[in-house]
Amino acid sequence: MGSNVRLSFDKKPELPKLIALAALITVFLVIPQFMRNTQLIMMSRIFILAVYGMSYDILRGYTGFINLGQAIFFGSGVYMGVIFLNMQNDLWFFMMAAGSIFVASVIGGYVMSKIVLRTGGVVAAAMVTLALGEIVRNIAERWRTVTGGQDGLPLRFSRVALEPLFTTRLGAYYFAFVFLIVMTFALRAFVLSPTGRVLQAIRENEQRARFLGYDTQKYKTIALIVSSVAAGFSGLVFAVIVRFANTDYLSITYTLNALLITLVGGTGTLYGSILGSAFVTWIQNFLLDLNRSLGWDILRYPMLFVGSLYILLVIFMPAGLLGGFFQLKNWWDRKRLSRATDNTPEA
Amino acid sequence: MQPLLKAENIVSYIGPYTILHDVSLEVTRGEAVVILGRNGAGKTTFLKTIMGLVHTRSGVLEFDGETLVDKETHVIQRKGIGYVPEDYGIFDLLTVEENMRIAMWKEDPETKERCDWVLDLFPDLKLAYKRFAKTLSGGQRQMLSVGRALVNNNRILLVDEPSKGLAPVIIETLAGALKEISKTTTVLLVEQNFAMACAVGQRFYIINEGKTVESGTMADLIQNKELQAVHLGI
Repeated sequence: MGSNVRLSFDKKPELPKLIALAALITVFLVIPQFMRNTQLIMMSRIFILAVYGMSYDILRGYTGFINLGQAIFFGSGVYMGVIFLNMQNDLWFFMMAAGSIFVASVIGGYVMSKIVLRTGGVVAAAMVTLALGEIVRNIAERWRTVTGGQDGLPLRFSRVALEPLFTTRLGAYYFAFVFLIVMTFALRAFVLSPTGRVLQAIRENEQRARFLGYDTQKYKTIALIVSSVAAGFSGLVFAVIVRFANTDYLSITYTLNALLITLVGGTGTLYGSILGSAFVTWIQNFLLDLNRSLGWDILRYPMLFVGSLYILLVIFMPAGLLGGFFQLKNWWDRKRLSRATDNTPEA
Repeated sequence: MQPLLKAENIVSYIGPYTILHDVSLEVTRGEAVVILGRNGAGKTTFLKTIMGLVHTRSGVLEFDGETLVDKETHVIQRKGIGYVPEDYGIFDLLTVEENMRIAMWKEDPETKERCDWVLDLFPDLKLAYKRFAKTLSGGQRQMLSVGRALVNNNRILLVDEPSKGLAPVIIETLAGALKEISKTTTVLLVEQNFAMACAVGQRFYIINEGKTVESGTMADLIQNKELQAVHLGI
């Protein structure tokens, strides 16, 4: 792994940090009142993709497992949201969609683990999940009656029970923000649990975890299921923001998006995905805006720049933004400590 | 009396290579048994065979009357077999405390009490409790590796060359600790350091070219200079 920066076990939240967190939450509750619709959409996307990034980090950062089919769950969540809300736009149908994506993700994650974990090896697992992702996307493209094929499936709002939560951009912003907070706490609790500790051990050396008495296959299956459910939920909430589902959300591009978010933010840091999502989403939007004002065709392909940026980041800041910050902080702390030791008068 | 660990005519292999050709050994409860032999004799492979890390082709391998052949490593460990591998097997990116806690099957008062006992046995670990394992010295890493295998109520401890690459003073500390451990736990120790083997073991087996060639009490081996010269190069 590029970084060993990670959440520390048993770390009780300290008061100053809790105050800072409360202040940050307050800021994010107030600022949308002064935002335009486009900014609200961008922020909502950042929140949801951050959760999607975290779902990927559970696998990549905490288990060392590369899943190139993560978009299966994200895309299914988007479809589930659009299909159920198109039946009836109310909270009950949204809850039914959530229940369905939960069950589908648990089953899908379990089945995927049974297929993938038989292969052994990170590369083989990546290849198998890539193939699985493409199979699902192809099925979705041909199953036009349900998915709308390549044309996609728009969300038809009947403007009933869920107004303004789902029907206004401001409502959707708050919905996405609460979703981010809830999922961050849930996933944090998971990685700090004894199960999370075993996952980190597996990432470092699976054989060692086995001779400590852990059935590593079982733990990897748990990680895959948790990750799938989180990805599925983020897809479901994403459907409310984008109001549209198509097979792109099931494609490798969306899996790579999650990978990029995790790497840019810092693998194995969990919170890094929030920074990663902000950075990746913002830069994509920024480049598209620039294209609109300058009219340069090349700016229509933001992934070209994001990809180059990613290469630079991997070379110069392999631990990602949050990982880099912690490394810098550690370096500063060490420097301060050595300066203090040098200045201590001898007895 | 039924042996706690019994190996009879074990043949095991790694890929296309047969490493152990005929290993037989018995360890009874409360004993400290040492496996000796030259480099490449198959001592480490034998411990790995017990742990299911190397495949058994034929022979009998039993722990407390139950076969270990074709069992998965984690199942074997849960029977109460603690394993301290040659390369320590600790998790560098976790702290000492996390390494200890990850080894615990449950965090009940009894386990915590045993953890305290381990920290008393290895005071160095207590001092480095919050440090990342990667920052530990070789001796401390070995202490952590042994300590981690002790936090559960294991019925036998398999220790693979704990003295390897360590300074004499550390070896002395470890030998003392293993001697102390052997008072309460059955120990099967693989060792090349004869002094350490003598300090810990009550009985010995010598493995040569994948076969058990000699066995007896440590007292006999200490007397038998010829055996030492032929098989151990002392």
